[in-house]
Amino acid sequence: MNSLSKYFLGIYTGVKSLLVGMSVTWKELWTKKVTQQYPENRKTLVVSDRFRCELTMPHDENNEHACTACGICQMNCPNGTIDVQSKMIETEDGKKKKILDVYTWDQGMCTFCNLCVITCPSSAIKFENNFENSVFNRRKLIHRLNNEGSKLREKKKEVKPAESKAE
Amino acid sequence: MMLLNYSQPLELTKLIKWFDNLLRASLPEFWTLLIEFVVVALALLAVYVVVALLLIYAERKITAFFQARIGPNRAGKWGLLQSPADMIKILLKEIIKISRSDRFLFFAAPFFMIVASFATFAAIPFGQSLHAIDFNIGVLYVIAISSLGIIGVFLAGWSSNNKYSMIGAMRSGAQFVSYELSAGFALMTIVVLSGTMQFSEMIEGQRYCWNIFNGHISSLIAFVIYLISGHAETNRGPFDLPEAESELTAGYHTEYSGIMFGYYYLAEYLNMFVIASIATTVFLGGYLPFEIQGWDGFNQIMNYIPSYVWFFGKTFVLIFLSLWVRWSFPRLRIDQLLNLEWKYLLPINLLNIVLMVLLVLTGLTLKDLFGIL
Amino acid sequence: MEDIKKLILDTVKDAVIEEKQKLTVTVEWTKLPLLAKTLRNNKDLPFDFLVNLIGVDRGEELGVNYLICSSKDLSKEIVLKTSTTNRENPLLYTVTDIYESAHYSEREVYALLGIRFINNPDMRKFFLNSDWKGFPLRKDYDTNPDINPVSIESKEIQDIAPRIMETEEGQLLEETVKVFEDDDYVINIGPQHPSTHGVMHFRVSLDGENIKKIDVHSGYIHRGIEKLSESLTYPQILHFTDRLDYLSANMNRHALCMCIEQAAEIEVPLRAQYIRTIMDELNRIDSHCLAWATHTNDLGATTAFIYGMREREVILQIFEKTCGGRLIINQNVVGGVMFDIYKDFQKDVKAFIPYMREKLAEYDRFFSHNVIALGRMVNIGHLSKENAIAYGVTGPAGRASGWSCDIRKHIPYALYDQVNFKEVIRTEGDSYARYLNRLDEIEQSLCIIEQLIDNIPEGEICAKTKPIIRLPEGEYHARVEAARGEFGVFIESRGDKFPYRLKFRSPSMQLVSAMPLICKGEKIADFIGIGGSMDYVIPDIDR
Ligand code: SF4
Ligand code: SF4
Repeated sequence: MNSLSKYFLGIYTGVKSLLVGMSVTWKELWTKKVTQQYPENRKTLVVSDRFRCELTMPHDENNEHACTACGICQMNCPNGTIDVQSKMIETEDGKKKKILDVYTWDQGMCTFCNLCVITCPSSAIKFENNFENSVFNRRKLIHRLNNEGSKLREKKKEVKPAESKAE
Repeated sequence: MMLLNYSQPLELTKLIKWFDNLLRASLPEFWTLLIEFVVVALALLAVYVVVALLLIYAERKITAFFQARIGPNRAGKWGLLQSPADMIKILLKEIIKISRSDRFLFFAAPFFMIVASFATFAAIPFGQSLHAIDFNIGVLYVIAISSLGIIGVFLAGWSSNNKYSMIGAMRSGAQFVSYELSAGFALMTIVVLSGTMQFSEMIEGQRYCWNIFNGHISSLIAFVIYLISGHAETNRGPFDLPEAESELTAGYHTEYSGIMFGYYYLAEYLNMFVIASIATTVFLGGYLPFEIQGWDGFNQIMNYIPSYVWFFGKTFVLIFLSLWVRWSFPRLRIDQLLNLEWKYLLPINLLNIVLMVLLVLTGLTLKDLFGIL
Repeated sequence: MEDIKKLILDTVKDAVIEEKQKLTVTVEWTKLPLLAKTLRNNKDLPFDFLVNLIGVDRGEELGVNYLICSSKDLSKEIVLKTSTTNRENPLLYTVTDIYESAHYSEREVYALLGIRFINNPDMRKFFLNSDWKGFPLRKDYDTNPDINPVSIESKEIQDIAPRIMETEEGQLLEETVKVFEDDDYVINIGPQHPSTHGVMHFRVSLDGENIKKIDVHSGYIHRGIEKLSESLTYPQILHFTDRLDYLSANMNRHALCMCIEQAAEIEVPLRAQYIRTIMDELNRIDSHCLAWATHTNDLGATTAFIYGMREREVILQIFEKTCGGRLIINQNVVGGVMFDIYKDFQKDVKAFIPYMREKLAEYDRFFSHNVIALGRMVNIGHLSKENAIAYGVTGPAGRASGWSCDIRKHIPYALYDQVNFKEVIRTEGDSYARYLNRLDEIEQSLCIIEQLIDNIPEGEICAKTKPIIRLPEGEYHARVEAARGEFGVFIESRGDKFPYRLKFRSPSMQLVSAMPLICKGEKIADFIGIGGSMDYVIPDIDR
């Protein structure tokens, strides 16, 4: 007798649990759907400001940036993503000075670890949240960050790279 | 009581009658029949494809809603063109011939599957006079033919020369053989109740009230069992072990590609439809409208809805139920699956038949108790 | 620990005991098994849990460090060290008979350092093919790609395992054993398979639907992180940790930062500690949500999978807003955290807590009591407490076997000694216990967050560190509780800005090592389910 009642109890609890499960899916049938419809929702899409997608070197209205071509970012990058090309020029007062020539960043290699940004002593680079970066060709992932003909912003000259390092 | 209004404007009866008369008037008997056969076959084929495409679309949409998603929505409005697009894609795909497989059986297997599902399709009454063949042993025919599909599954598993397929096919065999029993017994219960195996008679017999109400407890049990075992026969979750993707990648059809895979895919959906429509016919009064004795005004309105709408409506509700179940539960394991059949469904089923016999003999069916007819 | 020292000296007279960060005992290689066995069988405080087995190339010698601790009190730790001067044919004794978890680790050491272990029952290389030339972690390894060219041919898997056994007379015998019988029905689960949770290759021999034997074949996505780290500075290494067990990215990184901070004696500001702890717990919830989702998916409930993903998304949003990453979040740095919390952080997290509780109730209704689910989990994949300890299975899985192994309780770090939470322990040891443990741990994590979220103090988020971090010479260990169990970091420093040797203890490796044991005799369908309940992450193994 015991086993028989167990048998029916088993059926009862089993069926009940299944029905409870089905009631959950039934409720979910009517809940708001969570799918993001990209690209239709492009206008309303919020991507966090801090989202790291594209390394940029902000230039001001005079086409000036803050990079001193010190090469610290290049040195700190764990996988050789950054290439800082500098050149020597002679300033008006006859001194030799190293300035930035070409700053390239290979998006395809970058692991977005943010180390370059936090170690840059002059805060010359930062990550932007522009996430639509797909291209058809790998070579297009190599970006030049400094604008053509841009130059160093002349304000604070006393940049001591090592000290303002965050890490 | 004249319950069905034959002058109903939306029924196709008249159209068919007119078409038949037209042919008979101008052609000899032989040609009339031939043309009618071809037309019926084409019509069935068309319905077959349309139903399959709609089902695939419906499944994807409904599944998505259960899962808090949106589902296909890129091809056409609300993704309506998704299924046709998929069909075209599948037709264009390469059929990969795998080496070291039994070529003949490998390519024959999908046909068993599709032919079996199509052959059952013919015996289903879709509506008033929309019934291709009306066997006097319709129920038996359906049970017999639909089990042909298992041969397709089995051959596929065997001939693919793939271990996953093999295990899938073996599981499928065990599963199909077991659940076929339950499904058959559940239908037999109703055969006992209605005293016929012919679908048309069975439906007409439900004019007073549907079988599921007529046989009350016993019918209800049979109905539930039929749904479960039918669900299992179509290899759909939670009984989808033969193609359990988490362990067997795609089970018996792992190695198929292109339209060969398409056949399995199509047959799966059609089987679902066939099971649901047989359940509709046998338990839910087929194409008959829902009527309550005595409420004449209500019955009039119900009657105004054409029969095929009733049929597809009921079938769709059952299909929805099957989807709901499928997307709510995890998958059974093979031993649990067999346990369910042999320890629960089959004994209950056998008792149920006895119960039904008693009900019929002692005149305890709804019709006997309250019927005026 | 004084009597332990005495015990050690009693067992091995010439053992050298040093008090470093951990109690370190150096013995001759022939004496090691004896010492390990004695410590393991010690009555009051059995040192029966091998936390980490680290092969090191010490220049002249090749050696192995064993970090062992007691399963009763995880904070009682001893480091055993041994080495051999024979670089041509280095041999050491195995400890597999004492600690089961050593088996794969020793095979890993063989692949990467070339040390073979006498009496290890199966001395195939782990991670590497048998024909790999050279031993990557040796300091004199030639990294020239021509030596080991990338092969696009598929290679037959070696089915004959070499090993080296010691006979009773003390003779060494090289022999081979077959992994599978000739007529075994072997099917591959992986490396490409819908449910291996990564590129893992299990070869399973079947008897009908029952599992006879499992052979684990790993290394498909090995990235050589430990080797790479030897030429990178400490801040640079940090970004690798997120890529080990990517689901506990923050916790892994926390461990490495902690290890460096302890070694360099850097004080982490309180605010940073708060942020770290909260982020760790969020990360844990995230990971457990996903574990629940994939586990249900492995059992065939696809709908549940999507629900789990949906809840996880809320956390990912919070991560994205805080640190600009979703999976790889790069939050911890040496000395603190990289990003301060954003303005609405508290608001978002506080909104998430009741939401998650509601969803936990839904999970419970939807899946936890479902008969089919119960049938697939209860009494399936049973792992006893003894085996959990021997195989080093920690985390929710270890605690489901009744082993209290939560590092947060035993060796509290960050703020875990200041919050109240329960260590969830079940004793059944089956898939269901592991499943429930995870859901309960989500609740506990919510509790922890609740206690911290309103009290985040103002202040610095990162301590000032030297521009170039050099660790003083020595060996450093750090252990944290990651989502899948104990994650450990070992750094051997020679005073340079690069580590001399860095080793991660990945919890998933131990989880996988227990799979052949607990799956034996189960159905093939349950193999997947058990895998889901153990919840291993493959990149964590293939470091
Ligand atoms: S660290 Fe900053 S200033 Fe120096 S090269 Fe890089 S971007 Fe320029
Ligand atoms: S984010 Fe990291 S990997 Fe990318 S460029 Fe900067 S330092 Fe290099």
